[in-house]
Amino acid sequence: MKLAQNQIQQLYTFTRQHYVEYYDLQTELVDHLSNGIEEQWQENATLSFKEALQKEFKKFGVFGFMNVIEQHQKSMNKRYWKILVRFVKEWFKLPKLIITLMIFILFFLLLQIKNASYMLMGGFLLIAVFDLYKQHKKRRINKQKKDKKEKVFLLEAMIGGTRNGFSAITWINLYNLVHLTKIDFSNLHIYWLFLIAAIATLLCIAFYVTAYVIPQKAEELLTETYPEYKLV
Amino acid sequence: MGNSKLYKGSLNTIILKLLEEQGKMYGYEITQKVKELTKGELKITEGALYPALHKLEAEGLLDVEVAKVDNRLRKYYKLTEAGEKETVNRLAELEEFIRSMQNLVNPNWSIE
Repeated sequence: MKLAQNQIQQLYTFTRQHYVEYYDLQTELVDHLSNGIEEQWQENATLSFKEALQKEFKKFGVFGFMNVIEQHQKSMNKRYWKILVRFVKEWFKLPKLIITLMIFILFFLLLQIKNASYMLMGGFLLIAVFDLYKQHKKRRINKQKKDKKEKVFLLEAMIGGTRNGFSAITWINLYNLVHLTKIDFSNLHIYWLFLIAAIATLLCIAFYVTAYVIPQKAEELLTETYPEYKLV
Repeated sequence: MGNSKLYKGSLNTIILKLLEEQGKMYGYEITQKVKELTKGELKITEGALYPALHKLEAEGLLDVEVAKVDNRLRKYYKLTEAGEKETVNRLAELEEFIRSMQNLVNPNWSIE
């Protein structure tokens, strides 16, 4: 006996009730549970769908899907990180390398001007406010999608969500960099300025990649990661 | 059921070896195949299998394929090129381990 379409849908609901939020993992677990239930039916055809499901779910242990969900998130973090590194690397190859060097030189020169930290802070604040506004708009769209219970893939959520987290890290770090020392930057040794300018440049690039490049390429990255992305 | 703790460290190697032999497999199939091969001695728990598969996939050792089977989607795993190389390494490591254990437990017995 095979599972009917509405039973498959019930399994999707079941995984959602057990905190499997994303469609990619839901799909894999639904297939697993289905196989298990069908196997049980081969041995005992009188077993009800609900009983068979409970039996199958028990095999996952007392924590249910928790371990699977956690590791799935961890694995996807690793993949997101790899994607990020892949795009950041582009900025260290020609032609983008020229822009990277220009940003670096700009930071490096700015840091040597007296009271440069005020200028930098002002600039960052401006960008941060603009970015927060964009994040806010995007979050509203995502929430609407989730409320409608559309199929959301983990990487898809991360391209939106991790980006927010990463932007925050960038701003905090840039802020710290500017406030790192009480003394004016222009009084610091040139090696320090060199290092600070390099870190600031890297943060800017990483921010740009997570906030603009990766979301723009989302479709492509999702198809690459999930063969089923085009199917659903 | 045997002492699953002893098997735990070798789970990844078992998965890689199975995929090397079978080409492509899906999660449930792997649990069943292991049960069949070890005559029920080793049952891979569902809670351990999927995390292991996802980890190997993130490491670039496995690739995935999705097919529609019986009105649902099924995710198949298969080895990547890097995965094939890694399988050889891990199997060699495991054999070395078995040999060392043999020597420790029963010095007079040999695997050859």
